[in-house]
Amino acid sequence: MKVRVDPERCQGHTLCAMRAPKVFELSEIDGHSSPINEEVPDDQQDQVVEAVRSCPERAISVF
Amino acid sequence: MTVSEPHGDDIRKQPRVHFDRHAPEYRDQFEEQTRAFHAGCPLAWSDTYGGHWVAAGNRELLAFARAGQKLSNDHDVNGERRGYQGINIPAPARGKGFRGGFLEMDPPEQRAYRNALNPYLSPAAIARWIPFIDEVARACLDEKIESGRIDFVDDLANIVPAVFTLAMMGVPLKKWELYNEPAHAGVYTPPGSPEMARVVEAHMAMLKDIAATLHEVRAHPRPGLADALARLEIDGKPPSDIDLVGAMALLIGGGFDTTTALTAHALEWLSQHPDERARLVRERDTLLDTATEEFLRYFTPAPGDGRTVAENCEIAGKEFEEGERVWLSWAMANRDPAVFPDPDRVDLERGGNRHTAFGLGIHRCIGSNVARTVFKRMLIQVLDRIPDFVCDAENTVHYETIGVIQGMRHLPATFTPGPRLGPGLEETLASLQQVCDEQGLAEPVTVRKAEAKIR
Repeated sequence: MKVRVDPERCQGHTLCAMRAPKVFELSEIDGHSSPINEEVPDDQQDQVVEAVRSCPERAISVF
Repeated sequence: MTVSEPHGDDIRKQPRVHFDRHAPEYRDQFEEQTRAFHAGCPLAWSDTYGGHWVAAGNRELLAFARAGQKLSNDHDVNGERRGYQGINIPAPARGKGFRGGFLEMDPPEQRAYRNALNPYLSPAAIARWIPFIDEVARACLDEKIESGRIDFVDDLANIVPAVFTLAMMGVPLKKWELYNEPAHAGVYTPPGSPEMARVVEAHMAMLKDIAATLHEVRAHPRPGLADALARLEIDGKPPSDIDLVGAMALLIGGGFDTTTALTAHALEWLSQHPDERARLVRERDTLLDTATEEFLRYFTPAPGDGRTVAENCEIAGKEFEEGERVWLSWAMANRDPAVFPDPDRVDLERGGNRHTAFGLGIHRCIGSNVARTVFKRMLIQVLDRIPDFVCDAENTVHYETIGVIQGMRHLPATFTPGPRLGPGLEETLASLQQVCDEQGLAEPVTVRKAEAKIR
């Protein structure tokens, strides 16, 4: 599983990092999110799916 | 009597509803009205307040959030542009002549403000303040803990957000009451009531102090949001003082009453649901985050924002004309059954909670990380120190209307008394002021990374 955050859509709600803190990192400046690695570790897939479902801006996609 | 066929605007402005969120009955009828919106008209026209659209569905709000320049937040107070009325429907008489800071601006102006303030308000920036927030909450509880009685609004949830907001701004902490009165009473006092004159006077005193603060930080720079605003330049020019005062008033308004409202409602709910409270105490490490988001969804302290359509366009399948007003109901979207199964139930471990309590799009509440952190730190101390609190339903006072903030005036409670842990509020604020000054706590995270050290 790979994960992407659309930087145009992300507004820094931070819910993804609450659900999957090992996968998403937040900008120190404005809290906008990006994946630490595009490749999602096997043991983090459920958390990432929950992050996708929690994003208010629907900015996260997995493929 | 003849009935003419609907034509033109009458056809376009469908379905029609009567929506008056400022009416006292809206509070009691909120769930019923919200269900009606979701059942048949997630985007409807209401003739109230000069006529405006009401968007209640999550999908519809997302479409508006992504509409970019088709929508405007502008409040053209001097009639220099297109006369738009900003984010309140109707525009309040009290704020005449003032733009509500960057929430009533569009990019690129709005972006310049956000870029200047974000490094003070990001998750990393706010995390540095946790020992400070804990110390204020500790002192608030110490004032009351030996008596076994507290008013969660007056004695805790009003104070901690107020003191912390002033600390971040670089305003002396001891001034919190000067700011608290207008920020809180200014929202719940009905226009035309006998108390209004006093509230207006308090509001003027606050604006005066904000203006004085701007002058002070220009003359003698000290870190904080006020300093960031005083140094702000847009296209090489400083904004007008009145716009800067508006921005500071926005930070006060956003920082004070909203977190108070969230905290009071959550504590009232936990008192009414002791089994859920016991579960939250037991499973705090795993439940605190999801419970916080669920309280945000369910209570949505800031229920919505207005926008103005900036060009003839189609959004969410409807045709809009330039100049039309739209009310984006974050509160109703948070009960959308298409996104939230069993939406009128509080589920402390709800998944997929893509709530809109902080808005959507580029105007996402800039203080969202403040709100979450302050709420969680207050809740933790209440659950740790007075876990058996019982709220006094008879003497609880909710806001009469919830058109601006779904808040509470009073939430008295009793509990088993406990021991104090430290000095009272006044002494604590004096020593915290020293800590702020010595450690430069109000610097942006780009300048200071270290966590506050208390004692």
